[in-house]
Amino acid sequence: MAPRAQTDALRGSLDLLILKTLSLAPMHGWGISQRVQQMSAGVLEVNQGSLYPALQRLEQGGLITSDWGTTGNNRRARYYRLTAAGRRALGNELENWRRFAASLNAVLRST
Amino acid sequence: MSWVDATRARLRLLFARPDDESRVDQEFRFHIEMETERLVQETGLDRQEARRRALVSFGGVEKHREVLREGRGLAWLTDMSLDLKLGLRMLVKYPGLSLAGVLGMAVAVAIGTVSFGVIYTVIDPALPLDQGDRVVAIENLDARRSDDGRRTHLHDLATWRGGLQAVEELGAYRTVDRNLITPENRPESVRIAEMTASGFRVARVPPLQGRYLNEEDERQGAPPVVVIGYDVWQSRFAGDSRVIGRALQLGASQHTVIGVMPQGFAFPINNRVWTPLRLDPSDFVPGQSPSISVFGRLAPGATLNEAQTQLTTIGQRLAADHPETHQHLRPRVLPYPRAFMDSPELAWMFHLVQLVVSMLLVLVGTNVAILVYARTATRTGEIAVRTALGASRGRVVGQLFAEALVLSGAAAVVGLGAGWLALREFDAVAARNGGAQFPFWMHFGLSPGVVLYVAGLAVLGAVIVGAVPALRATRGQVHGGLQQLGPGGWKVRLGTTWTVLVVAQVAVTVAILPWAIVGVDLWLRHRMAGPGFPAAEFLTARLHMDREGVGTDDAESRGSDIAVRYANLQGELVRRLEAEPGIADVVLASALPSDEENRRIEVDRETGAAGPETAGGSGSAGHRAGVYRVEPGFFRAFDIPLLAGRPFQAGDASPGATGVIVNRSFVEEVLGGGHPLGRRVRAASRSPETSHGSAQAGPWYEIVGVVADFPRPVKPNVFEPKLYHAMVAGATHPVALTLRVRGAPAGSFADRLRELTVAVDPMLRIESVSTLDDVLNQDAADQVLILVIALVTLSVVLLSAAGIYALMSCAISLRRREIGIRTALGAGPGRVIGSVLSRAARQIAIGIAVGVTVTGLMVQTLAREGVDGRDVVLLLAVAAFMMGVGLLAAVGPARRALRIQPTEALQAE
Repeated sequence: MAPRAQTDALRGSLDLLILKTLSLAPMHGWGISQRVQQMSAGVLEVNQGSLYPALQRLEQGGLITSDWGTTGNNRRARYYRLTAAGRRALGNELENWRRFAASLNAVLRST
Repeated sequence: MSWVDATRARLRLLFARPDDESRVDQEFRFHIEMETERLVQETGLDRQEARRRALVSFGGVEKHREVLREGRGLAWLTDMSLDLKLGLRMLVKYPGLSLAGVLGMAVAVAIGTVSFGVIYTVIDPALPLDQGDRVVAIENLDARRSDDGRRTHLHDLATWRGGLQAVEELGAYRTVDRNLITPENRPESVRIAEMTASGFRVARVPPLQGRYLNEEDERQGAPPVVVIGYDVWQSRFAGDSRVIGRALQLGASQHTVIGVMPQGFAFPINNRVWTPLRLDPSDFVPGQSPSISVFGRLAPGATLNEAQTQLTTIGQRLAADHPETHQHLRPRVLPYPRAFMDSPELAWMFHLVQLVVSMLLVLVGTNVAILVYARTATRTGEIAVRTALGASRGRVVGQLFAEALVLSGAAAVVGLGAGWLALREFDAVAARNGGAQFPFWMHFGLSPGVVLYVAGLAVLGAVIVGAVPALRATRGQVHGGLQQLGPGGWKVRLGTTWTVLVVAQVAVTVAILPWAIVGVDLWLRHRMAGPGFPAAEFLTARLHMDREGVGTDDAESRGSDIAVRYANLQGELVRRLEAEPGIADVVLASALPSDEENRRIEVDRETGAAGPETAGGSGSAGHRAGVYRVEPGFFRAFDIPLLAGRPFQAGDASPGATGVIVNRSFVEEVLGGGHPLGRRVRAASRSPETSHGSAQAGPWYEIVGVVADFPRPVKPNVFEPKLYHAMVAGATHPVALTLRVRGAPAGSFADRLRELTVAVDPMLRIESVSTLDDVLNQDAADQVLILVIALVTLSVVLLSAAGIYALMSCAISLRRREIGIRTALGAGPGRVIGSVLSRAARQIAIGIAVGVTVTGLMVQTLAREGVDGRDVVLLLAVAAFMMGVGLLAAVGPARRALRIQPTEALQAE
């Protein structure tokens, strides 16, 4: 598995975002960043510098695969999509995230 | 996620690398284009501005690429190639140092290659036959004799055949030399293998034509047949497709050709002609049969150990049943090529070669270590800066390793090439000269093992030369290294390691150089001296007579018959030769002038003689001389004048005669000058003239004449004193035949000589024909040795000089500030440099002293005459030379130091 040098949370959330985005539909790299931005109403802006390394890491981990495809306006782009393992991992990560958020909420809410 | 999937994905990415790069480029381009589009549409910027913003927001493309590359784990590949390019550039930038380093290491690699190739072939040869590793040899070792006392008895072969299950197809062979005579071509001498039929079955090589031997041919009384090799078929029968059935004369008997073997077949050793082995054990007394060599093939499924166990059991049984012959015999089975290996000369050579190579490699290693240590020490500052800027330790070490790899790689390539050429040459020389001695499976050349070995050496060299110093340099704190660049100057101390290295290197160079010089000098003198007489006019050969047939090897009982026959045949041959036009002289002797057959000489003190008694008396070791038996016409043939006394007469050759002739060197060295005629001398060991061998005393011989020396020493280390007996015709075998040819090159007479010899009697055989010129120059092995020593010395001197240069350079750079200050304060340049160089000069002086002492000791113990004036002068010359090299090496750095402006040196502050 790829080493997680930077803060786990940040990296983890980017992976999660990518996996979630791809679970809806296969997409190319630029498309993923646009989709995330749209879905979060502009709050989350994906750092280009981390996007492609994250994609490579996920691909090396076998969670996503990629293939050449053509866009709507006949451009050649690399499309990524989830694998079965990726789908499983997405489920796990979502579960972890929900639990994490809930417990964090619980702590913050208590006085 | 399953790690299998992960690994698979990773591997896929790894191997798709070239594809990947362009893929990444395309992805990035697509991304940036899409972003540009979006900006144009959403914010209405013009295309150029939008693109610029897109690029900015994307970030550095190259940086992303590198991150991706690192993520793939392949960054080191590009880094490595970059480092290699840098290394190459560094190499080119300092050509002198690089050349010295590469050449020095290349010589070591070449010598390592050759020795490894030779040893590999000799020690662990593979038999190039079908399942060759299962072919074995069986021999009887005599437990009483520690030397080569093998006697494989004919009778044991039958026993082994019956009892040894683990080995099948047991066969035997022996080799005999005979004349090969076909009516059309010139006769030549061949080494025939008399072999049992199973030999061909063991080799498993089908004949090219006809058939090979079978058991029928081995019967006594069967028609004489012969199997010939490819070369004989081509050269003697012109590749006649109907050669089967034609006749071939070997010695005095005719044989019918029944088969031709394919090219390259030379089993059992190096043979081209095979006849059946017809030795019937019942013809011989057990224990006194002719020697034969036994071989076989391991039965399917049997191992060598099983075979040995069975053999030992049989051997014990034989020892119990026949104690008088077999008590001391220990049979053993071993892989076939090994049977040739155990000779003591080969083992000695192997050890010698190993010793030389190890010494050489140590030497070269020392040299290169000095060079590199110096280079690394100058770059501590650079390394510190790089580390401070974020280079990982691995990167820095990697770069230095790559530089060193370029150096050692270049050296390995050059050395491997030179070694390959040398091995090829070695092979050619062996094939030409070794002839029947070199087995067919020994071919010297590059094998994959050797190449791997050299590659390993190169990498190891690069590790030692590059990685280790780099690791040491990056070990410390960064700021320590940075300080080097600052006002404090260098804190790197040239420690004791360096001192020891320099001293050792200088010492070894000084120790080796005199020997190299002496050796090369000898060789040159020998080359240019010439024999002093027209050696090209003389054709020499050895005359053998085959004593064929059954019977014991010990010719004692038939000795006189054989001697008489030999004498008659010799006489007839000489008559015919003298009758030939173009032959000026024919002379027979026991050996050629270049052969050395020296014995210890004893001088009888009783025959009163004036003059100093410096020769050893009876029993004392003292002087040696070459002992020859010659015909009366010997001296006339070589134009050697008689100085005193009388020449040989007919009476001197009779059995009881005591007259001998000596040469002038003998008088001077053995007799110590004085009056020689009438003095009595004898050779200390058993005289070969009389066949009753008492190890102690032979008869005394009286000096009746003195002749001049051969005009110049024929070989540098051939003893010049010579003692000549009159030769008894027929008693010396083989005899050396010398012809003086007039009017044509001597070599052109060789064929005619063979024809005449065979015409006298086909059992007379001529071997080793060559002109005396070639014989005297033929020290092939010596020449190679001299060349190797010269090369080694050259490389050592080169590296030595380079090392000293580096040392001086370092010493001066270390003290730039000091030099600057002292010059500014008015010190003369000479004094400054002198003080700076003094340390280095001291080290060199110590090295010279050590080297001179070592050489002196070596000369003392090894040389026969002790240290004489000439050697001392040579040693002093070498010492001066080394000092000169040191000074010369110091010139460059010294000049640089003198040019240092004081202001510049102080500027650092």
